[in-house]
Formats: sequence, structure tokens, C-alpha cells
Amino acid sequence: MADNVLSITKQNTRGYRVILVFAFLVPLFFLLDLLVGSYYIPISEILKAIFRSDSANHQVVLIINQFRIPKAVTAILSGAALSVAGLQMQTVFRNPLAGPYILGVSSGASLGVALLVLGTGGLLGGSLISVAGSWGIVAAAWLGSGLILLLIVIISARIKDIMTILILGLLISSAISSVVNILQYFSNESMLKSFVVWTMGSLGSVTNVQLAVLFPSVLTGILMAFLSSKFLDAFLLGENYARSMGMNIVFARMVVFLSTAILAGSITAFCGPIGFIGIAVPHIARMTLRTAKHSLLVPGTILIGALMMLVSDILSQLPGSEATLPVNSVTALLGIPIVIWIIIRNKNTARL
Amino acid sequence: MKSDQQDKIIDLSNASIGYLGKSKAHKIIKSAISVYALKGELVAVIGENGIGKSTLLRTIAGFQPSVEGDFRICGKLISTYREKELALLMSFVSTEIIKVSNLSVFDLVSLGRYPYTNWFGKLLDEDHYLIEEAISAVGLQGYEYRMVNHLSDGERQKVMIARSLAQNTEIIVLDEPTAFLDLSNKYEIVHILHQLASEKEKTILFSTHDLTTAIAESDRLWLMLEDSVEQGAPEDLILNGNFDAIFHSKHLYFDREKGDFRIRKLTKKVAHVHGEGIAMDWTIKALARNGFEVVNLTDPADITIIVNYQEWTVIHLTKQIKFNSLLSLCRYLNSLER
Repeated sequence: MADNVLSITKQNTRGYRVILVFAFLVPLFFLLDLLVGSYYIPISEILKAIFRSDSANHQVVLIINQFRIPKAVTAILSGAALSVAGLQMQTVFRNPLAGPYILGVSSGASLGVALLVLGTGGLLGGSLISVAGSWGIVAAAWLGSGLILLLIVIISARIKDIMTILILGLLISSAISSVVNILQYFSNESMLKSFVVWTMGSLGSVTNVQLAVLFPSVLTGILMAFLSSKFLDAFLLGENYARSMGMNIVFARMVVFLSTAILAGSITAFCGPIGFIGIAVPHIARMTLRTAKHSLLVPGTILIGALMMLVSDILSQLPGSEATLPVNSVTALLGIPIVIWIIIRNKNTARL
Repeated sequence: MKSDQQDKIIDLSNASIGYLGKSKAHKIIKSAISVYALKGELVAVIGENGIGKSTLLRTIAGFQPSVEGDFRICGKLISTYREKELALLMSFVSTEIIKVSNLSVFDLVSLGRYPYTNWFGKLLDEDHYLIEEAISAVGLQGYEYRMVNHLSDGERQKVMIARSLAQNTEIIVLDEPTAFLDLSNKYEIVHILHQLASEKEKTILFSTHDLTTAIAESDRLWLMLEDSVEQGAPEDLILNGNFDAIFHSKHLYFDREKGDFRIRKLTKKVAHVHGEGIAMDWTIKALARNGFEVVNLTDPADITIIVNYQEWTVIHLTKQIKFNSLLSLCRYLNSLER
């Protein structure tokens, strides 16, 4: 029996090794992300600004502390959050193309923002946005996704079949999107632009103060994901098996949905909807860790998600130019080839 | 001798299965089901497609509520169990083929320990031991670290059975465990179930369409007929004629001697056959397929066939023709009809 225990440990060492590699890569790319920006700062200055700020150039300290660090931290948080949320949805719905927004969380957020930017903006004039500031948008987005979450929780407590919930989620998102479309149609050009800019996603607009709210929210969601890793393992075999193993389906679903909504909702509120990371990263995690156990997949997905988002942020910073690409486009251009590769490699999309 | 009442691990009395509707508008699929299973029995549920086998098993497994009557597991009504309590008494294997990539045999079987492990699913030494034991019970030692989606259908079904063994329950319910399997795998799976029932004293309930294996290996059959559900040893049900009522097709009849259903042929002609041994038996089968009934030599016949293995002589009217295979003989007989 001792032999068995030994060989089982052996099986999982690959997973742990891969996690270790990513745990090393994330801080490395975090530093790299601090390096790039519209203003060139040598790495020695950056390190000095972080560790001995009193002796460093005041302006450099300001740029690092107020802009680059919050942006890089936001990249880590959003990558981790969206990827874990995507993993949870793919497992619960047993669908390889599910993602963090499948329950309609992002469309709820966009309705909130659209109502604020396009709706009240039209009535009160554009000044409102600058007055309310980004907090207004965050609050609106959070309210919108919270409302959707409430709806999903009510639905999932009443409806047994998981596929019905998936379809209802899709229908609700479509319905909300059309409301947003109507709002867009009736709004003026400058309103429209500020809304469209929000939908493109941005990591740079999150301030240190906002991070103090975003950070604990993401941490809560991630903690819940860790706590639900046993549920997620059981969901792999489908709900009948899960129930026959003594799992309380409604409770487990609720924990997972709540975690997903907190993660995807908070990130969407602060950064706008960011696509494809949440779909692609769980697949990369499964492939590199070669396991289906969520006690390994959850930490693996967090690290790979953080890394992917840091890479996206670095790529969005066009070298030698002040301009930055919308992060949403970068994640899509990075994520879509990965998803295509997964589909072709598996030759069978109907499995995780 | 212990009384049956105590040993009834699964006990249905006057039960109805179906779907609950609003108020009293239930959709009842089958009612007045009174059957039971004793400890250590392998029970096969048999019946036509759509007669409610799956619904019955799903109701017993607690996936859907019973409509009327008593469904008892170990003496207690199913509806009074909590999910976790039921999971310690009964495990389930569905007909669905699980396709999860990167899931090893060990990890899948270890999910059977779900009701016993802590919040994070940590496996203790005892869990490791039971998982290994379950894997060897289905004959998959050495497969622990193979990925489930690289296995054949038969192997995968064995893994699912191992998972239910790891759950260490008194009852195992399997919904058509042999549906997608080839003949040898069908026999193997049902034989494994038989061994588990007799050696580990488990009560195993499975639905199947494969009568031959069910008759050969099960201790008890639940026969779901149009108007009733009958139970008994397979042989009892054959002798008392209940088997004849399984299928409502005039093209099928139950051969009580062979223990299997056969397709009814309209016999148009009669033949005399001379010969002996196994070659004679198979010649009669070949004749039956082509519409010839073999009659006693005292009765009149259209045709006479003399079997002398590797040579068949047909005497028809005044002609006498020799054939060296049944295939060419059958082709000749068919040509006669036209």
C-alpha cells in the first residue's frame, strides 16, 4: 500500500511542478510589465523606486506607484479571476466553450453602465460622467451584474436541469444586450464613445483606492473556488453522479455561481468586459497540468490566467509609442488562436 | 432461516413511477409495482424500450420522486433519506459514457470516496486501499494512471463500476451498463456483477436488453410487462410463460428450450432430413431460416436432405443434387421458390 501512495504522489508531481514553474513566471512577468510603458524607465530605477523609494527619483516613484503597479496588479487579479470563473463554468456546464460571462454577468454589468452613461448622461449632460467619475461606472456595473446574479440564484434554486439554466442564461444575456442596443441607438456621439471605450476593457483605469475594493472581492471569489474544488470534481461526471455521491446539488451550484459572479462581476465593473481569457486559460491549465482534479486546476488556472493577462498587458503597450491597444482586442487575438488550436487538437469539442 | 422481510434490501410495494405534475395531474408510466431484492442478489430489470426501466431505476436511485406507493431501501422510505445518507447505502452507474480529458482511472475511481472524504476531498490511507481494491475487483490493475478517455468502452464501464465499488455501498444500481458493449464485454461485465453480488454480498440492480446474459447470471429478474411487473428466478419466469409477454411483436416468439427470442418465420414447406450430430442441427437451423420446417419421416415432405458433413444431398422430385456447403444449399432452396 505504501507503494501505491508513493506512485500516486508521483502522478501528481507533474501538476505541482507545472504550478511551480508558473508561480516563478508570474512575478517575472510582473516585473516585465512594470518595465514597459510610454515612458522608458530602466530596471534599476524601477527596483530602486519599489524597494528604496526615498532615494529614488520622485517622478519615477510616482509613475511606478500610481500607474504601473496598480495596472500590473489589476492584470494579475483580472487574469486570475476570469480564468477561475471560466474553469468553474466549463466544469459545471460540462461545456468546453463556456466562460465566465455565460451566465449573463457581463451583460448585466454593461446594462448598468449603459444606463448610467447613455441614459442619465443623455438627461443630465456629459458632465455627470466626469463628476461621478469612474466610481459611478463601477457602481453601475456592479449593480447590473449583481441583479443578474440574483436572478440566476433564484432560477438555479428552482430549476433542476443544468442545460435549462444555461439556455436561460444565454437568453437573458441576449435580452439585456438588445436593451443596451436600444440605449445606444438613442444616445449622442460622445456618450456612445465613452460607452464603447468601456466595452473595450482597460486595466489602466483602476486606481489604488479602487484596488482596495477590487482586491478583497477577487480574493473572496477565489477562496470560494478553492473551497468548491471537491464539488467541481463531482460535477465532472454530471449532476446525476454528483447527487448519487451525496452532493447537495443546489447548494454546490449556488457556491459556484456566487463565486463566478463575484469574480466576473467585479472585474467587469472595474475593467470592462475582457474576453477569451476565461475560455482559453482553463484549457491551457488542463493540458499543461494533465489532470482533471480541481485541487490542482484551480491554483494552476489562477497562475496561468495571471500570466496570460500580464502578457496581454505587455503586448498592448505598443513599443516606442505612447498609444496602447484596447486590452480586450489583445486578449481576443491571444486567446482565439489558443481556442482554435484546442478545438483542432481535440478533434472533439464535446469534451472538457 | 431469516425472514424475507428483514432481508429485503430494496422493497417496492404497490408503487407507481412517472412524473409529478401540478396538483393531481401526475403522468404515471407504470403502477402497481410490487417487487423486491434480497441481500447479495443480482437483479436484472427487463422489458421493452419505453416501458419504464430507466424511470424505475432513477426513482430507486432517488433522482426523481416516486409518484405513489412505498419505495423502501433497507426498510426505510427513500424519500426520508438525506442525499448523504443515501450515498452511503447506494451507488449508481449510468448508461452515459463519461468523456473527460486528463482524468486518470485512479482519480475517477477516487470520486467514489466522495461521501467519506473531508471538505477538500483529501484521500487517507484507507481510501487509497479501497480505491486500489475496487480497481482490482474489476480487473484493471495497472490501469491506474491511464487517462479515462483513452480506454475502450468496456474498460471505461469497468472503471465506472470500480467507482461505485469504491463508494462501498450495500446497493449498486446500474442503468443499462452493457448497452454500448460488444458481446465479450457484455458477458464480462455481467459476470463481474454476478461475482460482486455473490462474493461481496452486494445487492446489484441493473437494467438490460441482453436476455441471454441476464438469464445466465442473475439471481432474480424484474420483468416489466405491459400490464404488470413480474419477478422471480429467470427459469421460473421462463417456465410460467411470463417471458412470452415481453415483446409485443408477432414476429418474435420466446424459445423456452433455448432461452432466447427468435424471429418467427412463416414456414411454407416441409422437409425430411437424414443425418446426425451438430451438422444436422445447423442444417435444420439453416432450413428454418429459409422457410422449411423439418418434420418426422412418417409425415409427407416436399424435399429430402441427406446430411453427411461436407456433403449435402437434396432429393427433390426426381432430381438428386449434391452441395458442399450450406450456403450453396440455401441458394438452391431459394431458387426453388421462385
